[in-house]
Amino acid sequence: MKILVTLKRVVDYNVRVRVKSDGSGVETDGVKMSINPFDEIALEEALRIKERGEAEEVIVASIGGDEVQQQLRTGLAMGADRAIQVSADGDVQPLTAARTFLKLVEKEEPGIVFLGKQAIDDDANQTGQMLAALWDRPQATFASKVELADGKATVAREVDSGLETIEVDLPAVLTSDLRLNEPRFVKLPEIMKAKRKPLETLSLEDLGVERAGGIEAVSYEPPPQRGGGKVVESVDELVSELKSKGLL
Amino acid sequence: MSRFDPIESLTDDESLAHYGRDWTRFWPARPEAVVFPRSTEEVVDLVRLARRDGLKLVPSGGRTGLSGGAVASSGEVVVSLEKMRELVELDTTEPGLRAQAGLPVGELQRRATEAGLYYPVDWAAAASSQLGGSIATNAGGIRVLRYGMTRDWVQGLTVVTGTGEVLELNRGLVKNNTGLDLRHLMIGSEGVLGIITEATMALTRPPPEQSVLLIGFAGLSSIMPVFTELRAGLTLSAFEFFDRRSIEYVAGATGEDFPLDGECPYYAVVEFDDPGQASQERALELFERLAEAGHLADGTISQSLTQAKELWRWREAISESISPMTPYKNDLSVRVSRVPEFLDALDRLVSEHYPEFEVVWFGHIGDGNLHMNVLRPEDWSIGNFHAAGRELSPRVFELVRQFEGSVSAEHGVGLLKREDLHYTRSKAEIELMRQIKAAFDPEGIFNPGKVF
Repeated sequence: MKILVTLKRVVDYNVRVRVKSDGSGVETDGVKMSINPFDEIALEEALRIKERGEAEEVIVASIGGDEVQQQLRTGLAMGADRAIQVSADGDVQPLTAARTFLKLVEKEEPGIVFLGKQAIDDDANQTGQMLAALWDRPQATFASKVELADGKATVAREVDSGLETIEVDLPAVLTSDLRLNEPRFVKLPEIMKAKRKPLETLSLEDLGVERAGGIEAVSYEPPPQRGGGKVVESVDELVSELKSKGLL
Repeated sequence: MSRFDPIESLTDDESLAHYGRDWTRFWPARPEAVVFPRSTEEVVDLVRLARRDGLKLVPSGGRTGLSGGAVASSGEVVVSLEKMRELVELDTTEPGLRAQAGLPVGELQRRATEAGLYYPVDWAAAASSQLGGSIATNAGGIRVLRYGMTRDWVQGLTVVTGTGEVLELNRGLVKNNTGLDLRHLMIGSEGVLGIITEATMALTRPPPEQSVLLIGFAGLSSIMPVFTELRAGLTLSAFEFFDRRSIEYVAGATGEDFPLDGECPYYAVVEFDDPGQASQERALELFERLAEAGHLADGTISQSLTQAKELWRWREAISESISPMTPYKNDLSVRVSRVPEFLDALDRLVSEHYPEFEVVWFGHIGDGNLHMNVLRPEDWSIGNFHAAGRELSPRVFELVRQFEGSVSAEHGVGLLKREDLHYTRSKAEIELMRQIKAAFDPEGIFNPGKVF
């Protein structure tokens, strides 16, 4: 069985994101970019499945300009077998991404497509679900535990009330939640080896993907500034301050 | 009524205990009072009062010191600068800033960052340390390799001397070759010459994006060749080494799994400028070459800032992880090139006299600075262990003397290393220090019994 894992290049989780001065988007020049943390977790899980002997090949795929090759190389160094870059410039909306991955699914015929539950840049939480619909296969989203047996995946899902465990027939779309695992560090010798692993570049046009343009970003603005703290002299003052703000 | 009026003061037991000591716990905290001046003028008033009434003054910042420099254990008056924490001026063209001595260094760093600038001197306690204290102790820390010590960033000082004179030293000038630079006498003086009330500090531009390598050395003799190659090929911000024992204690304390196999005797966390693909490629090439030469056995590189932080934890958490073993600590330095030889000699010294003792090593290899931590075996009482430490110290320091090193690389002398100063400084030097002290503070009111 093959597992296809999608990796999105996003502004690093630890970077304090700044809105461009003209409000047209978020500053990415000179900003640390990393693999979307949920995608990294998805890849880690795929690698563990392969290491348990339950899959033969892990393929990582990303959509974007040549800069995404950096994240694909990281994926290869973590242990993926090969990588596919689907080159595309500009904004790629969730529906475009889902259509693209569907084309890769038709080409590669994986048993599992593993995505992060959402990307931390636009927080859309749509691509996995859309892909499952387009592909007409089951989905198990927000996974915090995955077990495979007899052509099925048993997945514990993080839901509001706790954990929900479901079983889906493979092939299926899985999306990872935060507590699924802790991704490994990349060993330097593995980075060397990763340079020799295949990285194929396709384009949206090659794949015949129709771009979706349903969402238009109107403007971006930073959240309102928080007011400064206040030092109080006594417990009484603290209590009356809290009361005056309706917090007690 | 207090004799210090209108300057705020405290004399309750809790405050005396709190303000009378630093991070050391060897001496009782017994000041007579704690006072909180709010201006240079009020510090002058306190000095006048001290001269009139025969009081002794202990200048006091964030009290995160490790050598007892800010301890008041014999009825001194603690002069806390914590109410003087104003940022007077931030100059983005120079760039630099002027602030009162009580400004926490963490706050200084934050204010600089907000202005698009950077104050690079950083150490574990920086957040709670104060500017004046960091200057009086010439604080170093983890990025000395790249940015030097606090000394390198001081452009001007306002100082109150033991005669109540206010000195404006260097006034923020870059160039000022007009005789002896008294500013540099104040830096690292541990409060024996005067009280720093304001300082002008240089700032710089923030560095480009940083990545972190964690590397495992094949052996002791590989450390210097690796350091030399990496420093030549990359722009290093830090090169922090630790031994395999450190990993065991950090793993035990944090519950984290070490990202490498943990089979190497020594490791280093290396932080470097990594603005793009080229620097990353260069780091990999260097690793490949050093691995082929048999110096490096293992390694990983951060792929995100989260991973960078996690890798740093293996170095940063060592001190607290070994603290339950109440280690006998030494902060030693030698010339950078002699570090491996020195470490080996010290290791042999300890195992010869106390084969049952474990030694944990970490430190700033790039600065020739080793933190030696001898751990107390579980079945030893703290008292017996301290006695063994006292027995070991002269032997350790004698070795430092032979290697022409320092008995206190960055922690200062304070009360802790006063008797050991002679291992590093000559009689003539110490005598000159005493004369300089007498010139600044003829009546000996500042920090009596400290340093020399």
